[in-house]
Amino acid sequence: MMDESEIRSGFARLRDADRERAPSFGQTYGRARGRKSWRATPRVRPLVFGAMAAAAIATIWLAQTRSLSPSAATPAIATWRAPTDVLLRTPGSELLSEMPALGTSILDEMIPVPSNRGT
Amino acid sequence: MDDVELRLQLERAHADCFGWAMACCGRHRDDAEEVLQTVYLTVLDGRARYDGRSSFRTWLFGVIRRTAASERRKTWLRGLLLKREADGLEPEALAAPDAEVERDSRRYSLGNALAQLAPRQHEVLQLVFYHEMTVDEAAAVMGVSVGSARTHYARGKARLAALLGDAREL
Repeated sequence: MMDESEIRSGFARLRDADRERAPSFGQTYGRARGRKSWRATPRVRPLVFGAMAAAAIATIWLAQTRSLSPSAATPAIATWRAPTDVLLRTPGSELLSEMPALGTSILDEMIPVPSNRGT
Repeated sequence: MDDVELRLQLERAHADCFGWAMACCGRHRDDAEEVLQTVYLTVLDGRARYDGRSSFRTWLFGVIRRTAASERRKTWLRGLLLKREADGLEPEALAAPDAEVERDSRRYSLGNALAQLAPRQHEVLQLVFYHEMTVDEAAAVMGVSVGSARTHYARGKARLAALLGDAREL
């Protein structure tokens, strides 16, 4: 085990070595200033963020207005027919598309009724 | 404190700050210098303000510690991304024999022994022995209670003495 004075002297040697190879304050500060000029300064940054936000809002607004306005190529929902509509047309479906008349038979329309000979 | 006085204070504490930044960055010189640059910009731009509740040095050391921790997180994230890309590359070649000898000779140095301590123990010993702070001041820099700092100090000192003593016996 080492005693405290040896630990202290070890740290002192480490400190001396660090001081020898430490960059000067001017160097460090100069490089920091260089980084600052390269990056956007805090005064410019809000303007950049503001412009980006405005551009994003404008893009969203334009996209929404385009989606709301009916396009010439897009058919209206009232006139649109599904391409598979024909499959729903079953044989005899025309019989079901009209209201049946009570007291008559569909056969009456199919078979000609003989005219009243007595009259 | 105006800009001129702030700059003077930073200049006066610079060598000490560099030593602390080295400790916070695992003794990597480039990382330590980058952290100091960020700290100087943060302080001089007014993004970190000295409120006079502790000594200027104690406050500045706290800013350095937080900045270094933030840089470490960024480096860790970058490392994760790079690792994904490097997974497909060839494995690293074996170290040269002379490099291994050099590494062995440094293995039991103070720096190496400090690296084996828990981070809080390392920090408190660095602040007390290297920067000659009191344990109370070290606690303020580390953002822990004085009691906690004293515990880290006692355990860290005992472990460091054991590590260095073992190294000497080898």
